[in-house]
Amino acid sequence: MATMKTTRDVKGVGLAIPRPDGPEKVTGQVQYVADLKPRGLLHAKLFRSPHAHARVVSIDTTRARALPGVRAVLTAADIPELKRKAPTRAHAVLAIDRVVFVGQPIAAVAADELAIAEEALDLIEVRYEVLRAAVDPLESMKPGAPPVADAGTEADTSEALAHGSVAGVATEAKPSKAVNISQQAKLQRGDVAKGFAESDVVIEKTYRVPMVHQGYLEPHAVLAQWDTNGLLTLWVSTQGSFNTRSEVADVLELPENRIKVIPMECGGGFGGKIRALCEPITAILARATGRPVRYVMTRREELEAGNPAPQVIIRLKTGVKRDGTLMALEAESVIESGAFSGAVLTVSGVFLASLYLWPAFEVRGFEVLTHKPSIAAYRAPVAPHTIFALDSHMEQIARVLGVDPVEFRLRHLQREGSPMANNQPWLNNGGVEVLTRIAEHPFWKQRAEWKASGDARRLRGTGLALGGWLGGLQPTGATVRLNPDGSLSVLTGQVDIAGTNIALAQIAASAYGIDVDKVRITTGDTDVAPVTGLSAGSKTVYTVGVAVMEAAKDARNQTLEIAAKEMEASIHDLEIENERVVVRGLPDRGVTLAQIGKKGNLYMSKVPPVLGVSHPAFSQQAPAFAAELARIEVDPETGDVTLHGFVVVQDVGKAINPLGVEGQMQGGAVQSLGMALTEALTYDDAGRLTNPSLLDYRKLTAADLPNIETIIVEKPSPAGPFGARGVGEPPIVPAPAAIANAVHDATGVRLTELPLTPERIALAIAAQPAARRPAS
Amino acid sequence: MRRFQLALPRNIDECVKFLAERGPETKVIAGGTDLLPQMKNGLLKPAAVVDLSGVADLRTLRRQDGSGLRVGASVTAREIERDAYVRSAYPALAESGALVGSVQIRNLATVGGNLCNAAPSADMAPPLLALEAEAVVAGPRGRRRVSLSDFFTGVRRTVLAPDELLVELIVPALGPRSGGQYLRHTPRRELDIAVVGVASQITMSDGVCAKARIALAAVAPTPIRATAAEQALEGRPLTAEQIGRAATLAVEAARPISDQRGSADFRRHLVAVLTRRTLTTALERAAR
Ligand SMILES: Cc1cc2nc3c(=O)[nH]c(=O)nc-3n(C[C@H](O)[C@H](O)[C@H](O)COP(=O)(O)OP(=O)(O)OC[C@H]3O[C@@H](n4cnc5c(N)ncnc54)[C@H](O)[C@@H]3O)c2cc1C
Repeated sequence: MATMKTTRDVKGVGLAIPRPDGPEKVTGQVQYVADLKPRGLLHAKLFRSPHAHARVVSIDTTRARALPGVRAVLTAADIPELKRKAPTRAHAVLAIDRVVFVGQPIAAVAADELAIAEEALDLIEVRYEVLRAAVDPLESMKPGAPPVADAGTEADTSEALAHGSVAGVATEAKPSKAVNISQQAKLQRGDVAKGFAESDVVIEKTYRVPMVHQGYLEPHAVLAQWDTNGLLTLWVSTQGSFNTRSEVADVLELPENRIKVIPMECGGGFGGKIRALCEPITAILARATGRPVRYVMTRREELEAGNPAPQVIIRLKTGVKRDGTLMALEAESVIESGAFSGAVLTVSGVFLASLYLWPAFEVRGFEVLTHKPSIAAYRAPVAPHTIFALDSHMEQIARVLGVDPVEFRLRHLQREGSPMANNQPWLNNGGVEVLTRIAEHPFWKQRAEWKASGDARRLRGTGLALGGWLGGLQPTGATVRLNPDGSLSVLTGQVDIAGTNIALAQIAASAYGIDVDKVRITTGDTDVAPVTGLSAGSKTVYTVGVAVMEAAKDARNQTLEIAAKEMEASIHDLEIENERVVVRGLPDRGVTLAQIGKKGNLYMSKVPPVLGVSHPAFSQQAPAFAAELARIEVDPETGDVTLHGFVVVQDVGKAINPLGVEGQMQGGAVQSLGMALTEALTYDDAGRLTNPSLLDYRKLTAADLPNIETIIVEKPSPAGPFGARGVGEPPIVPAPAAIANAVHDATGVRLTELPLTPERIALAIAAQPAARRPAS
Repeated sequence: MRRFQLALPRNIDECVKFLAERGPETKVIAGGTDLLPQMKNGLLKPAAVVDLSGVADLRTLRRQDGSGLRVGASVTAREIERDAYVRSAYPALAESGALVGSVQIRNLATVGGNLCNAAPSADMAPPLLALEAEAVVAGPRGRRRVSLSDFFTGVRRTVLAPDELLVELIVPALGPRSGGQYLRHTPRRELDIAVVGVASQITMSDGVCAKARIALAAVAPTPIRATAAEQALEGRPLTAEQIGRAATLAVEAARPISDQRGSADFRRHLVAVLTRRTLTTALERAAR
């Protein structure tokens, strides 16, 4: 889309503006769901399964019901809407007769006080027949593994759709005996066997990335209230209020227009707050008690029974010629989806097979169910996992061949028009640009000096990696109104979790021709806002930005039309300048925006109010790439990794708000450095989480992190607003591979399982042949 | 968290009296940084909680001329970390205080809580063990003194009876040419629990080691001393070779388990590394 022309530059797109909601957040003024205290409020708690897999033999809630202050104790038997074959986690409101993961809700309590609700949980007696659990995905894939889903349950592919994943990938019929393989796909081109036969260097490794938690600060929280007409209102911490409405309506079998979802301030989501999790049960408790009911998950519940990112195991085999020609790639991605289907299967395959151009490939993807909590998206779902495997592998090939690792990647990297694995062409993207740019960074140019500056107790190394995201799409809408004082009001239904509202206001300002401080943007609830998609998949600014831009242009045109009539001038001669519509070249002849706004609002006025509307759908994604570079030091005895510097270079198309963009780049880097170094949800053989607190589930803290340098590259996208691309996902993708490459550079040890903990690093160094081990 | 009764005693006697009356179902709270998470997780459900924050006698940290240091049970990790005398005379203790949690946690976390919680990984235990501290305990039958090496009886278990209170720790004075260090390993730089912690404390005399004390955290059900390693050093010059031998003996003293924080193999590996490093630094410090 062409950029708007205005006669002077308004304060809008491109300006670095701090988030206006920052001060109220850091001073604790913001109201979250947990802060709401309506009259008659009840507090909910869930009785959760201690077993990963068990038959529920009996539930006795008599004593819990008798506790003073308890207003309701519900089990599945009390909820007629529940279906046995729950296709999604949201539908599995309470376990019917079998539990399939530790932490699965079995009963729900609403009480006057939280402490009473907790006490009531102790009075609920459940008897179980413990069954064999499938905990390891590779074991779970095998015939004979204990089945997770009830027979006949459908695979859930809505997450893949939500993330604008990949068209044209064939799904395969699954082998009938492997009961826990819930989805399967295959991408294939050329003769792989021949490719390997003609290769000089064949490398095969298996890469493993464990389940990790998205780590949003605010846990899942919901407040539900029914009115006397049977209308349900939900105050929710969600990434998509319309999606929440649809899922709750589906579970409760209610018409969607009888549910109002009010998206509250969302303290982070990163993919973890897309699907309904505790909204249905909270609504059911509110219905059963006739009172407003609030449920807020504890941190322990979040870690134990949230919806984390999947474990991904990728076996990768490549063959190349001695001259660096790529010959063949074969891969198998196993994505562990936990107790319910819903993984994004195809992103992994497309990156593996076609980020670099392999003439022959065969890539299989499996979604496997286990007796663990079901998974959800986490910022670029499965892309960091895939790039960890692929980029680690590219680095190893380059080292074996003795060629420059950046040149090797650049030589084989896709370009616009190259065929993707699904035979669609790669769209315009900045992959080459970001990789070229990062190789110019002093950390990379001086990597030999850095390595040489270390000693036996401080091994130094440098590593980089390239990754990205294919881009997401979803229909959306926005309205732009001109107020009687000449200011603009923009309305969308988009939840602002990443500072997108200020960016959208900047877009409205530039498209209309007014300074951004005259624009106010509101996120409306599902009763008043235009239908809007998820805040996910790096598509908020990319799609909603277009809606806002088009609605602002529409409002601008209406404004000019009204002014043209007023001034008896041709609309083509008019311009908006300094909050006035003027005739180009005749700045004295004009009418103010306030005058036009007032006319649209006056009693007996014949002038229509200005209301710009846009509700677009989209067809063209904008792939976005980031390259990341780490300068590190390793203590070979303890395995401690010290990050001395970290650089993110990212193609953002156009930085609508450079401050917001840099925040995304740094935040993504921080999250993926945690994945790289310390984070893992760890389970024992019985499927119980062994680290259910933030003390042992280790997100990195500020003390662990270096300065994160951000370098913005702007290669405009053809369809994004002002050329913007999505910025949220790309920066979380390359870091794990970059760190693994840096650890290898420093120590000579190639680790293929995340996180790269001190233990793994130190024990791997100790296990090296003495000749290669650094002296200490 | 479950509902409970809260007692706010103003002195040690009131405290002991309340404990004697309500005994087993009561928990003492100092900083609450161990107790409250355990109560929130439902691990502990005390009917009554005795808050020590009003008991001023427990908060004193004072140097005793010629006879060492008295550390009140409610002295915080932050106070230990920042006290100039502790830093210069007992650097290992100051280092352990500085490692606990984060600044926010250290402003609440107390020495008494760290010891009475009796986690195998308690950071302030190894330096106090290596410094041969004594615990002063108050109960309905008066006061008694317990050597810290007899204080811990198991994971989260101590010699304290339910009606007893830890009052203070008495840390003996150190001779000239003494030095010590505490090091721990954690995957994160802060806000983490020791995978292994090692405190070494030595006194040199005429070029040989007159006294060595080595204490280990997170490698046994309680914090422990590595006595064989200590004995191997005493009466000998602390050469790299001797230090290496002591490190090997310290590994033999360790009885680690594998858990979510580290495998037994890695813990043994770390005991050797950290024992060697702390002894080397202790020797440097003794020379100052
Ligand atoms: C985020 C976080 C990080 C942490 N990091 C560390 C760390 O790095 N290293 C470490 O060692 N610990 C750490 N801890 C644990 C804890 O902070 C320390 O053990 C702290 O010293 C406990 O002191 P407190 O005053 O908070 O104890 P409290 O929680 O008040 O009490 C702990 C136990 O001791 C008992 N108790 C307290 N005082 C007395 C007394 N005078 N007499 C008898 N019984 C008593 C209580 O009844 C309770 O059972 C961490 C905790 C958190 C939450």
